Amino acid sequence: MSEKKIHEDQKYIDGLLKNNSFIIQAIYDKFAPKVINYIKQNSGNSDKAQDIIQDTLITIYNQASENKLQLTCPFDAYFFLLCKRKWLNELKKSSSKEVTINEDVLSKGDEAQELAFETSVFGEKQALFTEMFQKLGTACKDLLTATFKIKSMEEVAKSLGVTYAYARKKKSLCIGKLTELVRESPKFNRLNN
Amino acid sequence: MEDQKYILFESYLSKELSEDEIIAFESRLKNESDFNQAFNTYKELTSFLEHKHDNEVASTAFQNNLKTISNTYFENKETDKKVVRFKPWQYAMAASIVLLMGIFTFNNFSNPSFNDYNNYETISLTVRGEQEDLLKAAENAFNNKDFAEAEVVFGELLAKDDSNKELQLYRSITLLELDKFDEADSLFGRLSNSPSVYKNKAIWYLALSKLKQKNHDACLEILKTIPEDVDDYIQAQELIKKLD
Repeated sequence: MSEKKIHEDQKYIDGLLKNNSFIIQAIYDKFAPKVINYIKQNSGNSDKAQDIIQDTLITIYNQASENKLQLTCPFDAYFFLLCKRKWLNELKKSSSKEVTINEDVLSKGDEAQELAFETSVFGEKQALFTEMFQKLGTACKDLLTATFKIKSMEEVAKSLGVTYAYARKKKSLCIGKLTELVRESPKFNRLNN
Repeated sequence: MEDQKYILFESYLSKELSEDEIIAFESRLKNESDFNQAFNTYKELTSFLEHKHDNEVASTAFQNNLKTISNTYFENKETDKKVVRFKPWQYAMAASIVLLMGIFTFNNFSNPSFNDYNNYETISLTVRGEQEDLLKAAENAFNNKDFAEAEVVFGELLAKDDSNKELQLYRSITLLELDKFDEADSLFGRLSNSPSVYKNKAIWYLALSKLKQKNHDACLEILKTIPEDVDDYIQAQELIKKLD
């Protein structure tokens, strides 16, 4: 498959990543009104729209900083689809009755749809990972936090008063435990399919 | 059993396995789907944890900044309603300018001049809610075409916040009106080379500055760099035709 062409709107992604206030402001000025309208027309209000937009931008930021997000479609379409998806999930969560939505059929070749789908899966995985991390025992949480903050396993071992070999083994077992928690959750299986 | 698996994952990821062990490991990845899935999740979680800690400071800074901008934006949405009322009028004005220009270009066979193009739309700097006197003064001076006064006020505003690109743009237009070409051109040049929503406006005005200086070759060169999706594209194309 040939390299996909990067859209010029990549500047918005790069701007978010650099925490460029000017770009963030421009995103609000240009793209927020459409989202706000949509949410207001679909049982939401301005406050809800504010939350959805903010969460969406954080998800985009996280994805961009963790695994290089490359925009191959206009930011407008991508951003709107993401906000819309997030809002519909929100509605499903909060209302017991079935929400009727025109489910977006994922048509192949539709860059915006595919990209928005990837990003929203990324966001949901992050939320799930964070939730499962909290379920670990204190010992594991402490060890993992120390490991990824300090980097050098020797120093981690020293700071926790254990041997290097033990700290290393413990690290794999703790991530192993986390792997199991994640894989056992129904949500993860849904996301991976 | 399971424990051994995770210890193996870790050794593989930290590149501590021997060549033979790597071959054995990778063949299991290929042939055992559960092993493969477990490994992928393990790897994903490692990357998640690494990133979460590495990026904590930057990420917090981003989220705080985002919150501020978001709050300001949504607070001002109320105030914005005032602006909406003016919109039809602004459209009417813009439309009449376009119409006038159309008539001009239709009848005008002489050389184009800067004065054909310096009909600025009324600027509005205070819509964001911060009713600052200085901003108001800048707005009034500019809208009343009192450019000498506008230059002073924009200078003061930029002394306080020299990164504000909107103010930089209006200041450079003001300088252009006052025939201070060197300063104006260097400011337009800087704006047109940095990414912002005013980038293309700056290119357009830089071209107009060259027009005013009667440097038609430079003007043409610059006009040709204006991309198609920009507001001023049509005007730019018309100007190119006249100058060519």
